[in-house]
Amino acid sequence: MSNIYQPDLMTIKKVINETPDTKTFHLIFQDEELQENFEFVTGQFGEYSCFGAGESTFCIASSPTRKGYIECCFRKTGKVTNALFDLSEGDTIGFRGPFGNTFPIEEWEGKNVIFVGGGIALPPLRSVIWNLLDLRDKYKDISIVYGARSVADLVYKHEIAEWEERDDVNMVKTVDPGGETDDWDGHVGFVPHVLENEFKPDPENTIVVVCGPPIMIKFTFEALERLGFKQDQLITTLENRMKCGLGKCGRCNIGSTYVCIDGPVFKAAEIDLLPPEY
Amino acid sequence: MRTATLQKSDLDRVIDLLSQADYRVIAPQNQPRLEGPDSIDVATFQEVQPGDSHNIGEGLSTTGIKPFLFPKDEPLFAYENRGKKVVLTEVSLDFPKTVILGVRPCDVASVSSLDAVFSDKNAGFNDELFTKRLEKTTFVSYSCTEPDVSCFCTSVGLAPDSDKGSDLHMTELPDGTLHVEVKTEAGEKIAAVIDSLLSGEGDAVARQQAGVVAAEKITRLRDSASLLPWLQDLNNFGDEMWQRLGEKCLGCGACTFECPTCHCFDIVDENSGNKGYRVKFWDSCQFDHFTLHASGHNTRNSQFERYRNRFNCKFKIYEDVFGEKGCVGCGRCIRGCPVNLDITEYMAEVAQKATTSAS
Ligand SMILES: Cc1cc2nc3c(=O)[nH]c(=O)nc-3n(C[C@H](O)[C@H](O)[C@H](O)COP(=O)(O)OP(=O)(O)OC[C@H]3O[C@@H](n4cnc5c(N)ncnc54)[C@H](O)[C@@H]3O)c2cc1C
Ligand code: SF4
Ligand code: SF4
Ligand code: FES
Repeated sequence: MSNIYQPDLMTIKKVINETPDTKTFHLIFQDEELQENFEFVTGQFGEYSCFGAGESTFCIASSPTRKGYIECCFRKTGKVTNALFDLSEGDTIGFRGPFGNTFPIEEWEGKNVIFVGGGIALPPLRSVIWNLLDLRDKYKDISIVYGARSVADLVYKHEIAEWEERDDVNMVKTVDPGGETDDWDGHVGFVPHVLENEFKPDPENTIVVVCGPPIMIKFTFEALERLGFKQDQLITTLENRMKCGLGKCGRCNIGSTYVCIDGPVFKAAEIDLLPPEY
Repeated sequence: MRTATLQKSDLDRVIDLLSQADYRVIAPQNQPRLEGPDSIDVATFQEVQPGDSHNIGEGLSTTGIKPFLFPKDEPLFAYENRGKKVVLTEVSLDFPKTVILGVRPCDVASVSSLDAVFSDKNAGFNDELFTKRLEKTTFVSYSCTEPDVSCFCTSVGLAPDSDKGSDLHMTELPDGTLHVEVKTEAGEKIAAVIDSLLSGEGDAVARQQAGVVAAEKITRLRDSASLLPWLQDLNNFGDEMWQRLGEKCLGCGACTFECPTCHCFDIVDENSGNKGYRVKFWDSCQFDHFTLHASGHNTRNSQFERYRNRFNCKFKIYEDVFGEKGCVGCGRCIRGCPVNLDITEYMAEVAQKATTSAS
């Protein structure tokens, strides 16, 4: 197929209800050859479509080490995500991708890696978390600091439990003050606060990957810099609004940087060189 | 390559011969904008048949040739929802052999800018809806002899007689004849079709002179050399000029729709029952929802920031990312703006700021 705007078709094999407004789709390609040969690298995203409603941008939430399927996890926010939300197992969706750059996981070998995520921003982290866990020997300590507004808003509850069980993962979970339940056994407090005052990571030989809303990224970077982290140790993803994913529709640019081509993964030092349009 | 003389009165015959040679002929045509006595004529590029009126070489067209390479809206594919299955049908990429006659130098120069965005030169992704149309299109350009007060092509490295991007270029000489220059193989084919109308070798000296005379009529002169370095300095992104000059912008998008190099688009599904088309259509970075996130966060939240993006796109982003001109100085965004927001006012102010900071 030569038309860059025409998606490939995928079947929803499984639907997981993560929260009242968030779902995970487990997807396989309908074209057998593509199903065999599809490859991507952690950090990349795709354009997912419900025919009749349109396309939406989500990251690929599964790890490339798990072959034969991809997963996406999305929150219901508008026209397309509502339409996708109403689909069920066996239904067909469209997929274009993989697009964008990737997490430089080879550069992190031999280092401690801390993942910091807020709310719906766990999907991009989940891909890279499993990618590293599937190559566990190459990395030193792996920690995950994840928070949401309330217990009900935490996505991937099963996997959080699984990460808590593992003795090679340091799992720190938190909910915003007021969002806790009676049986909540995690922290209470905003992610940057818990990170800085309770988890207090040591900057020595450590990489931090932060995903979340722009405001959370800003406060988290500031907290980490107070802890002594340098800009080249900090990595994030940007989520400027997208349509084409191909550098053509002109929507996602921050100055001369096209998030769909040059991103979505950026180092803090790279973000510092951008005009403040993210 | 070949040069020759063509009589201006033979332009009708040119249309006849090209039509007979199975070209779809596009040319500027005056058409009434409104019904009734208040109507004014505006020139737009239209498909013409032998015998149709045209105004090649007369005035400037309101809209450019962009719609013939990048239409205002076009289907990307058709879909049909059949229960749990979906059937997709590709659109045809078989476009008609086309010649665009009487393109002005600014407009024909803009084609390589659009090509740098849509072709695989940009990140390896080839938008064949654009590139296959381009492959089938030949450009016959026509020097300007009467530039308008809004024109400023000479400030962006072009001129009223430039032939950048042209396949066959014509310049009207004071004696009313046209000096014809074949520039490419595609132009050679056009010359072969109209060979019976061509004579001699033209008059290269008079042609040169016509260009000089036309360039002297351009009054809007700006220094564009200082723009890129000034815009590349991140400190200037927060300059007070942006808000002061951009405040009056209404965000109507007229400038972007009339601009030959603006390329932004949206993708939506046009649905009817269980089937429909996914459609690509012109969008504008001047619209407030263009960069609105689902969360309500907007990366360009106020209108002056959207205009700042447009200006940066023209004089920085196009050069940084696509290595091409973002502005060809056609002046359309100046003529078309309902509140007289003038891109050359920004250019002048940047040039001034750049010299002040350099000294
Ligand atoms: C690289 C990247 C990765 C992403 N990854 C994920 C992910 O993994 N999971 C996830 O959940 N999200 C992700 N997102 C965000 C996601 O793309 C958006 O949340 C989603 O596309 C918006 O959903 P929609 O199409 O249903 O919304 P739309 O209906 O397109 O709405 C989008 C915006 O338009 C506004 N709008 C809609 N209709 C109207 C109207 N009629 N009038 C005025 N305004 C209107 C909405 O308020 C909203 O701001 C990612 C984004 C990027 C760029
Ligand atoms: S920015 Fe204005 S003058 Fe420049 S090419 Fe576009 S419409 Fe013409
Ligand atoms: S600059 Fe003028 S034409 Fe362009 S969006 Fe603003 S008001 Fe409309
Ligand atoms: S999403 Fe279209 S240019 Fe980046």
